[in-house]
Amino acid sequence: MGFGDFLTLPEIKLRVVTCRNVFQNTAQETSRFGEDYERLSAVIMLDPKDITRLSIKDGETVALRNGHGKVVVKAQRSGQEDAHSGIAYMLNSPWSNALVPVPDTGKGVPKYKDFEVTVQGSKGEKVTGIKQLF
Amino acid sequence: MTSVMEIYQLLPKTNCKQCGKSTCMAFAVDLLARKLKVDDCLPMVNNTKYSSDYDKLNKLITPVSGVTETGLIVHEDKCIGCGNCVVACPVNVAADPFGAGSGKAPTSDKVIFKVEDGIVKAKNVQECRRFGENKTICVACIDTCPTKAIEFV
Amino acid sequence: MVFSVFRFGDYLSEYFVCTGCALLCDDIEVDVQENRINTVNAACRKGVARMKGCTDPLVCTVDGKEEGIDKAVQKAASILRDAKNPLIFGHGNSSSEAQKLSIDLAKMTGAYIDDTSSFCQGPLVEAILQEKLKTCTLDDVRHRADVIIFWGADPSNSHPRHLSRYSYYPRGKERQRGWEEDRTLISIDIRRSDTALLCKDERFYRIPISGDAEFMEALVSSLSGKVPKTSFDYEKKRILELSNVLRKAKFGVICAGLGLVYSLEQLDPLFKLMDKLNELSDFHLIPMVGQYNMRGFNHNLFEETGYINRLKFDPQNDEPLHGPEYSIVETLYNKKVDAALIIGSDPLSSLPYSIAQNLKDIPLITIDPCQTLTASRSTVTIPCALGGVEADGTAVRMDGAEVTLKKIIKTDRLTDHEILKMIMEAI
Repeated sequence: MGFGDFLTLPEIKLRVVTCRNVFQNTAQETSRFGEDYERLSAVIMLDPKDITRLSIKDGETVALRNGHGKVVVKAQRSGQEDAHSGIAYMLNSPWSNALVPVPDTGKGVPKYKDFEVTVQGSKGEKVTGIKQLF
Repeated sequence: MTSVMEIYQLLPKTNCKQCGKSTCMAFAVDLLARKLKVDDCLPMVNNTKYSSDYDKLNKLITPVSGVTETGLIVHEDKCIGCGNCVVACPVNVAADPFGAGSGKAPTSDKVIFKVEDGIVKAKNVQECRRFGENKTICVACIDTCPTKAIEFV
Repeated sequence: MVFSVFRFGDYLSEYFVCTGCALLCDDIEVDVQENRINTVNAACRKGVARMKGCTDPLVCTVDGKEEGIDKAVQKAASILRDAKNPLIFGHGNSSSEAQKLSIDLAKMTGAYIDDTSSFCQGPLVEAILQEKLKTCTLDDVRHRADVIIFWGADPSNSHPRHLSRYSYYPRGKERQRGWEEDRTLISIDIRRSDTALLCKDERFYRIPISGDAEFMEALVSSLSGKVPKTSFDYEKKRILELSNVLRKAKFGVICAGLGLVYSLEQLDPLFKLMDKLNELSDFHLIPMVGQYNMRGFNHNLFEETGYINRLKFDPQNDEPLHGPEYSIVETLYNKKVDAALIIGSDPLSSLPYSIAQNLKDIPLITIDPCQTLTASRSTVTIPCALGGVEADGTAVRMDGAEVTLKKIIKTDRLTDHEILKMIMEAI
């Protein structure tokens, strides 16, 4: 065990926007309980700068939490050519929905495309399974 | 995308000429262009000391089965079946103006691109504008692909 | 127009409709072997997966135990009969025939009734049906549109064939020269989506999160000959240049995605932009509806009640109650419902868990072709035939065009409307 493992990994706050992905949608059509659906859904896409700030590597698991829930997902470099440090993308799925807030404004629309989460590296921890989400 | 150097690094680099090429570098160039197959390098096939490089090379060159005479490759794992290439391809438009050219499923057997089972398949590639004596560097199918699933090698 | 036999030279094909999304592509060729779908041609990746069906079909159960359909229907009827405030929700993936019965069932049981549009494209569909937004069909777009804006939308992921079938690449009556010459594709989004990559660099406008309303106002200013200002200091030159492209459009269309819908507190900035654009040019809006028949539900409920979603029927009163407080989100948030029938949707997947979990504590009935998260928590689950593959029906495309679905293969499973009919009879 290296010295670094004794240190707690940094926590950062990010704004999350959910979006769609055709491969994940395809997996959902085939089975919501399948491996592909989890592999493609339980992901947060980060700016390389935020990956560095978190002291993690591309593909490692991270814990996401806010006042609504906590999930463990894989961190991935977003591959976006424009910098988006401070903003992360997740696909619309039960994993993002564990964190999406419902504002108390009475308008009937959750904040799917703009919510805050605290992110921290959790290397070695398993991605939250779909059945554990509920 | 795979580069010539990546391929070259995995070759025996002995310039043995058994493949018919004068150097391993020349072999690498033809392998990348899919004019030759990995198995054309006999030392790699026969000598076990190359077996791990042989496996790596085969992985690198996997789309070889999908490559056509014009060097067109469809990366099936990336293709989303949107059909942009089907509709944009000038040969498709000419061969099938009211089907493919108008956005619908192709109604002619002469088209180059057709989406089958959610993935685009290339046929009649000899009709591609990149092929033959008066070839042009047409990029209609590449530019219109949102996932970079089509390339020419 | 659908299920036509097309003859072109020696080419003979029978076309079916894909229910993978609200584009309802009607040029799908299918090879069937032994009553199973073998290959699907012309559909996109997602559509093929939809038409081939899921790997975990729903089983008919009561309290987790496999049961016959009659018993499941009886139990469903008794749940709805006993409930004081039942909710009937879903309908995005239901045929119009089933949706109409759902509305009748809601009336009969004094239920809340809502659909997925309630928390996605509802506001736009409502404005279109109330004629507050000018719209057109996708066929108009193909034949005529020269300026196509995807705003907060990424069809390459959500509706893969949108660009190739209708909006950008195909030739149309007034668009004969191909997309490079005839059409301008514009993406306005908070990130460079796969669709934005297809726009030329100068035609992608990256705006900040929730910057849509301001960007619309800036465009209106610019179109009115004023200096476009934004709090996020968007390059004025680019806004001016964009407004010039819009001003010169012969037939423009805004394909409005969820990015646009969620970022607007109210639709006024969009109305103002559309009004301005229509003073100078000819602009239309089409909502990028997701599920294949969400818009159908909005039309069916609108015809019946004048509202598109978010209703509660009152058995004592002819006039239904309507408003945000009757939306699925608010009724679950405030724990107003004591039983729910879910049809053609999976709210446990698609709603925030903080409110979806309130569904877990009440008796649930799920009608769906496939195992869903909601089904896994339901007291009663009843499998239905897959619309457009195992069942005939009618649906409404994202642009409002009605499309007929024709079944491809036979099944023992009942259709969604047959099941609803049985439940209504049992009640």
